[in-house]
Amino acid sequence: MSNKIIETFNLSKDYNLKGKKVVRALDDVSIQINEGEKFGLLGPNGAGKTTLISILSTLIQPSSGYAIIDGDHIIKNANKIRNKIALMLGNDMIYYRITGYTNLKFFCKVYGIKDYKEKIIKIAEEFGIEKWLNEYVERYSAGMKCKLTLCRILLSNPKILFLDEPTLGLDIKTTNFIIEKLKESDKTVFISSHNMDVIEKLCNRIAFINLSKIIKMGSKDEISKLLQKRIRIFIGIIENKKKLRYDLEQEDFITSVIDKENGLEIELLERNNYNRLFSIFQKYEIIKIQEIDLSVEDLFLELV
Amino acid sequence: MIKRDKIRRIFSKTFAIAEKNVSIQIRFKYYMLWRWFLPVITLLMPIILLGKFLEYSTSIGPWTPQNYMIFVFTGYSIMIMTSMIDYIPKSLTQEKYWKTLPALMTAPFNRFYLLFGYIISEFIGILIPFSAFLIVILIFFPISILTLIVIILMFLGMGIIFSGFGLFLGVFSISNENFLYVFNILVRIIFWFSCISYPFQLFPEPIQSIINLNPIYYLIDIIRLTWLENNIIVTFLSHPIHVSIFIGSSLIFPIICVYVFNIIYKKLGITGY
Repeated sequence: MSNKIIETFNLSKDYNLKGKKVVRALDDVSIQINEGEKFGLLGPNGAGKTTLISILSTLIQPSSGYAIIDGDHIIKNANKIRNKIALMLGNDMIYYRITGYTNLKFFCKVYGIKDYKEKIIKIAEEFGIEKWLNEYVERYSAGMKCKLTLCRILLSNPKILFLDEPTLGLDIKTTNFIIEKLKESDKTVFISSHNMDVIEKLCNRIAFINLSKIIKMGSKDEISKLLQKRIRIFIGIIENKKKLRYDLEQEDFITSVIDKENGLEIELLERNNYNRLFSIFQKYEIIKIQEIDLSVEDLFLELV
Repeated sequence: MIKRDKIRRIFSKTFAIAEKNVSIQIRFKYYMLWRWFLPVITLLMPIILLGKFLEYSTSIGPWTPQNYMIFVFTGYSIMIMTSMIDYIPKSLTQEKYWKTLPALMTAPFNRFYLLFGYIISEFIGILIPFSAFLIVILIFFPISILTLIVIILMFLGMGIIFSGFGLFLGVFSISNENFLYVFNILVRIIFWFSCISYPFQLFPEPIQSIINLNPIYYLIDIIRLTWLENNIIVTFLSHPIHVSIFIGSSLIFPIICVYVFNIIYKKLGITGY
C-alpha cells in the first residue's frame, strides 16, 4: 500500500485587495500525493500554483481547510514539517553577495547538518559547480545559480521538495540536467510549472490548475489515455483543399479543422472513425496522411 | 549530553545568522565606513557647540567641560546602535526580494536565533569604532574595571532592546513596507525626546516632562550616570527607576518582540516578492 505523504483537505486561500476586495487564490483544493512520487502542477500565471506551494511549505497559512504533510498538521506542527521539506521558489533562492560555499555552509548550519564540509564538496561535484564555490554568487550564470540552489535544498536531505518554476529561464541542457537529477532522487517532488516539457519528463502524476481550482488530475498514464482518445491528423492536399475542408466540417466525428501549409490538420473524437474518414478521402488526391502526437501541452491548452 | 548538543546547535544557528550578515555587509566595504562615520558627522556639530557653550557656563546639569565627552561617547555609541532598529527591517525586506527570507522562514529555525544572530552581527559591525571611542574616553575619564564591565553589559542590553524593536518593525515591513516608514517616524520622535546628544536640563520644562515619560531616556541616562558616578552600588541604589526600566526592558522586550513577530508573521506573512 502506498504511503500518502501529502494530503490536502479543501484548502482555500483568500487575499485582501484594495477597496476591501477579496480574491480567492486557491479554491477548495484536495489532493493526495504518495511518498516518492513526482507530482507536477500545471497552470497558467495566476492560477494558484505558488500559493498552493507556499501553503504546503508552511510559508503562508490557508484561509480555510488544512493539509497533512508526512503525518503532521500544516498549522499545528509547522516546525516539525520544516525539518522534512525544502522549498525552492524560482531558481535562485540564495544570497548573491556571498560565495557559493558560504551560502551552502550557512544553510547547513541552519539545518544543523554535521560534517558539512565534505557534504558540500560532494554535492557541488555532483552538480558540476565545485570550481565556482569560492566565487560570489552574483558572478554565476542562471544555470549555476539554479544548481547551487538545488545543492542547498538537497543538502538538508528533505523528504519532500517543493519546487516552484525551478527551470524558468534556463537553457534546455541545464533543464534536462536538473530533470535527470530530480528523477534520480528518491524524494517526493512537488513541482509547479507552466513548462509542459519539464512536467511531462519528470512527473508520474499531473494536476492541472486554473482559476484557483484543480480542474484535472491523474497519473501520467491516465493523462496519456486521455490524449490517445483524441487523434490529430495532418492531411497533405494541394488541389481542392477548400472543398475537402467543407466536407470535413460537415462530419460530426471531426472536432476541428485547421488550415495548414499544403494541407489541413483535423482532430477526430475516436480512433474507430478512421474508416469514415477514408471514405471522404476517396474523392480527393491526398498526398500525405500523418498522425500527430498529442502532448500534455495540447490537453493543457484545451483545459484552460 | 543531549543538552550540550542542543546548546551547540543553538549557538551554531545563531552564529550562522551573524556570520552571514557580516559577510553580506563587508561585501561592500565602504558601507561599513559610512555606518561608522555617519554618527560622527551627526554629532560633530553638537560637540563643537556644547564645547563652546561649556567654556562660558560651568555646567549644564551634570554636563561639565570636564565630563561632556562621556555624553558624546554614549551619544555616538547609541546612535550607531540605533542603526539596528533600521537595519533589521531593511535587511528582512531585502531578503524578501532576494527570496532568501522564504528559505529562512521554511527552515526549522527559532526566531530567537534570528534576533540574536542580528544582535551579534551588529555588535561585530560596530566593534571597531565603539572600542576606539571607548579607549579614548577611558584615557580622559578612567573608571573601575567593574564599572566598565557593567557599562559594556548595558550597551549589550541596549543592543538587545534596539534589535528587538527592529525585529518588531521587520515583521510589518515584509508584508507592507509602508509600516517601516510610519514606525520609523515614531521611532525618530521617541529618540528626539531621549536626550542622546543634549543635556536634559537644556530643554524647556514642558519638553522635560515629555522626556520624563520616555523609557528610552532612562536607558540612555543610566549608562551616563554609571560612568559618572563610577560606583555600581551607589548608582543602582540611587536610580531605581532607571535600573528597573533597563533590566526589565532588556529581559522582557526581546521575548515580546519575538512573540509579536510570530503572531504577526502568521497573520500577514510575506507579500510582494
